[in-house]
Amino acid sequence: MGKHDKYDAIVAGAGHNGLTTACYLAKAGLKTLVIEKNDMIGGAAISRELYEGWTYSNCSYVCSLLRQEVIRDLELPRFGLQVVPYQGSVSFHEDGGYFSSYDDHHAFRREVARFSEKDVDAYDRYSQLVMRQCRFIRPFLLRTAPDPTTLRPRDIGELIFLAKRIHDLGQKEVGEMVRFWTMSVGDFLDEHFETPIIKAAMAGSGIIGTGLGVYSPGTAYVLLHHYMGDVDGSIGAWGFARGAMGAITKALGAAFKEAGGEITMGSGVNEFLIKNGKVSGVALDNGDEYHAPIIASNMDVKRTVLKHIGREKLPADYVRSVERFKIRGSSGKLNIALDSLPKFPALPNDNLMFSGDMSCSSSLQNLEMAYDDWKDGRFSKKPFFDMLIPSRIDPTLAPPGKHMMSVFTQYCPYDLNVDGVRSPDNWNEATKKAFADSVYDRLEIVCPDIRDRVLHAEVRTPLDIENEVGLTEGNIFQGELTFDQLLFNRPVPGYAQYNTPIDGLFIVGSSTHPGGGVMAAPGANAAREILRRIGKGKSMPDFNPKIAA
Amino acid sequence: MSHSDKFDVIVIGAGHNGLAAAATLAKRGKKVCVLERTNAIGGMAQSRDNDGTSVPYIAHLLHNLNPTVVKELGLSSAIKLKELPTIALDPDGRHIEIAGNKAQYTDGSAHPDAAIYEEIRARIIKFGQLLEPMAARTAPDLSEGASFAGLPELMPLAKLGLKMKLMGKKEMREFMRIALSNVYDLILDDMEDGVLAGSLAADSVWGMWTGPRSPGTVLSLMYRYCTGGQSSLPIGGMGAISHAIADVAKNNGAQIRTNSAAEKLVVEDDQVTGVVLKDGTTIETKAVMSSAGAFQSMMIGGHENFDVEAVRRLRNVRSKGTTAKVNIVLKDVPEIAGLSDSQMASRLLIAPSAYYIEQAFNAIKYGEMPPAPVIEAVIPSLSDTSIAASGKHVLSAVVQYIPYYLEGGWNDKARNKLTKIVVDTLSKYAPDLRDKIDYTETLSPADIEQETGAPGGHWHHCEFSTDQMLAVRPVNLLARYAFGIKGFYLCGASAHPGGDVSGLAGRNSALQLIKDGAAS
Repeated sequence: MGKHDKYDAIVAGAGHNGLTTACYLAKAGLKTLVIEKNDMIGGAAISRELYEGWTYSNCSYVCSLLRQEVIRDLELPRFGLQVVPYQGSVSFHEDGGYFSSYDDHHAFRREVARFSEKDVDAYDRYSQLVMRQCRFIRPFLLRTAPDPTTLRPRDIGELIFLAKRIHDLGQKEVGEMVRFWTMSVGDFLDEHFETPIIKAAMAGSGIIGTGLGVYSPGTAYVLLHHYMGDVDGSIGAWGFARGAMGAITKALGAAFKEAGGEITMGSGVNEFLIKNGKVSGVALDNGDEYHAPIIASNMDVKRTVLKHIGREKLPADYVRSVERFKIRGSSGKLNIALDSLPKFPALPNDNLMFSGDMSCSSSLQNLEMAYDDWKDGRFSKKPFFDMLIPSRIDPTLAPPGKHMMSVFTQYCPYDLNVDGVRSPDNWNEATKKAFADSVYDRLEIVCPDIRDRVLHAEVRTPLDIENEVGLTEGNIFQGELTFDQLLFNRPVPGYAQYNTPIDGLFIVGSSTHPGGGVMAAPGANAAREILRRIGKGKSMPDFNPKIAA
Repeated sequence: MSHSDKFDVIVIGAGHNGLAAAATLAKRGKKVCVLERTNAIGGMAQSRDNDGTSVPYIAHLLHNLNPTVVKELGLSSAIKLKELPTIALDPDGRHIEIAGNKAQYTDGSAHPDAAIYEEIRARIIKFGQLLEPMAARTAPDLSEGASFAGLPELMPLAKLGLKMKLMGKKEMREFMRIALSNVYDLILDDMEDGVLAGSLAADSVWGMWTGPRSPGTVLSLMYRYCTGGQSSLPIGGMGAISHAIADVAKNNGAQIRTNSAAEKLVVEDDQVTGVVLKDGTTIETKAVMSSAGAFQSMMIGGHENFDVEAVRRLRNVRSKGTTAKVNIVLKDVPEIAGLSDSQMASRLLIAPSAYYIEQAFNAIKYGEMPPAPVIEAVIPSLSDTSIAASGKHVLSAVVQYIPYYLEGGWNDKARNKLTKIVVDTLSKYAPDLRDKIDYTETLSPADIEQETGAPGGHWHHCEFSTDQMLAVRPVNLLARYAFGIKGFYLCGASAHPGGDVSGLAGRNSALQLIKDGAAS
């Protein structure tokens, strides 16, 4: 039997959301402990020196969604966080051509005009539509979703706020919004553009991290999850965290410690201790026990409930709803250390786009086929990838002259299908290599000498991400971003305000509203709910002071 | 042109919606004329006589003919329906018989998932019935917002909200969770994938460009089941339905002219004043309703009379047809092992799993025909002796996931390939089918478009997806039937609430026209 210590609050899991919650609890004066199963904090926002001189962003790799309100309020720059924006992206065509996206409006129009004059006009219309939706949704990110089935004043107030926001849009915009929120990114793009490669280049953001295809209704909304962020107020911009993604969680960890918080690493929560419907503490894998009347789980809802709480301690309906919650692994990753920059024959030397997102999808049909492979439990024969070379912007990531490449890949199943049997057990060295080869084959279209440049690489399947980070099925959003799992439905209808049926136990990770991405919004919202319940709601800033009259 | 040729309303197209619109108007004393391009009324709901054999030309069963329409038009005595159970065919011979919400194996033994099936289906029907009042009226107009003037338009929404509340928290939450979800997850969360699961999944995708995994399919299933989910065979053939509605119109003084194609509206000062026919004659009228597709209706109205944004939106209406029709005229009834003679008369379903349906859907995305399509088949003459005079039978097959945009285009070779796929698929269950075929008649989505004018040959004229539904059907700002030009109304399946032989689009549109005072 190990240690027994008492705290005011315990946070299980040191991902960016758990740390955000922890920061706010500690700042409110609660004696707070963060428990992390791995030997370092960060969850899926982590930098690791797998080889000396090389910094791997093992999971998440770019930054934009992290709420400015949280960055400023927690003074994360003071703790070393620096987000460096990067420009543009390029989508390569199998036939050797490419299509670039520039931040500069004129440059971008000229680029689109290389393919189609019609698409130049369409682009202005398209950006306006998407930007309007971004503007609409952003104020909801740092609010708790209302429960429409209750008559509590606060829920009714929030519903009125929602209704007023919608009402103020006017009939036309409401119609456009209904369409945008429910249609597929493929149909949405087909409505605007005619050039296959332009559509393919823009569709990627609608499917990243999801178990949906470009023609699945609801994917246009996912687009927002990649557009509604900002870097220093520039909406839609993306950046690199200097020192890789771990810099975000390192800063959060440092802010937490400064506020008086404690972190224990190396052994994770084995069981949430529950008595008479009330949480009293946690027991760790190593036998240690810690006690607190408030426990915040940064683990996804499935892992929290199904793995670390006995189901007999929970209402059967709730357990059933959690079982139904869809967390599907659909993406993998290759992190590649390069001894020099590979050649990109399609691009002029020193092209600006070397520093941005690179992909290779020539049409929406190709992307949809990649999804069809995944539906069947196979990794895509021709996967979608989002590739970046962050060392171009942040040279500290690799030894001088050498480079780090991050290749986010989709689709890659969790339960791999081998000879008709679907199981995560089918992932082994051979199948992992086959997966990596399918990605290298695609990369070779873009940079034919890529295989010769590789010094060492890390291949991450959904199973690896689950095992290392703890994300169920390796799903980067801790739950699909479909309508049945958004707002008051996320993660479970009736328990969408970060609470659970267990008194004192809260869910604070991306399984909750507003969902995934390195956003820290769930963590901040959850902290506010927790503090409100113990009468300390005022100790945290209300990022959204306006409630409709 | 004689003076008597001036009408209150001209209805373009004598499909069941056009006819329902005409009947609704005529019953309210309007002077109505229906113009039908072809030589027969009924559109997709018609029976054809092929050498003494009655063939359900395109649609063959009713599943949500709206009770309000039946009641308002007094159709109940004019039409006879025979409710058909569904036999969900199993490639391994363990067929399932579904009557209402009850499912069991055809040999009478219990199916392990019968209870959960009943629960899911009953819930979908309940939720569908909850939404039905929204289908039976014009889509809400929110332009007045939450003001006194906007109150009447908010009432139905408030009623819906109240009804949801009255269901209790648990059911309300379930409704809000699944309403925009996909049917694949909904079913397979609780049931093994198989024949029974397939039968539910199939009902969510008929006529649509979606697979069971596509979000939105639960809503389409609610729509299909909003009047109870029962499939019925109209005695006398599908044509009997169209004729019954047409009779109501005619008995109330409406004219129906076949072989009269409307070419263009006459528009003066942004007001419809007449219709020019293909043969050059002009008919005067106060208002025009079109049951043609949304885009096609705009072209009849003249795109120059529409707002440029409306034109753009109408160009973007999605109507990629996905359903073909194969009519197999039989010398004799084939046998399916395990089915009795009376069971052979059921609605026969080939959708052996939700996975199978999704696989079939995959093909259409790339302009291909699936090697194993989803099929709903029925042999009407087994239930309806009135159409069995010739001694021949017809196996009528609705074939799902046949692309309008077929790679290489539609021609005889493609049509033959489709026929072969369908006969091969059916023969897996009815091995003696081939020997009993007299001849076949195959209609691709392109043929259906050619024959009926339905854009893309699409069952719903305008894809039945959430982004083309209610207040945005067929397009944003043209969702309340009034269609861009004063006195011009849309009344076909592309208008709210959508397709299926329900009669609502035509009826709702007619009522809106009267309410707007457009024909007075």
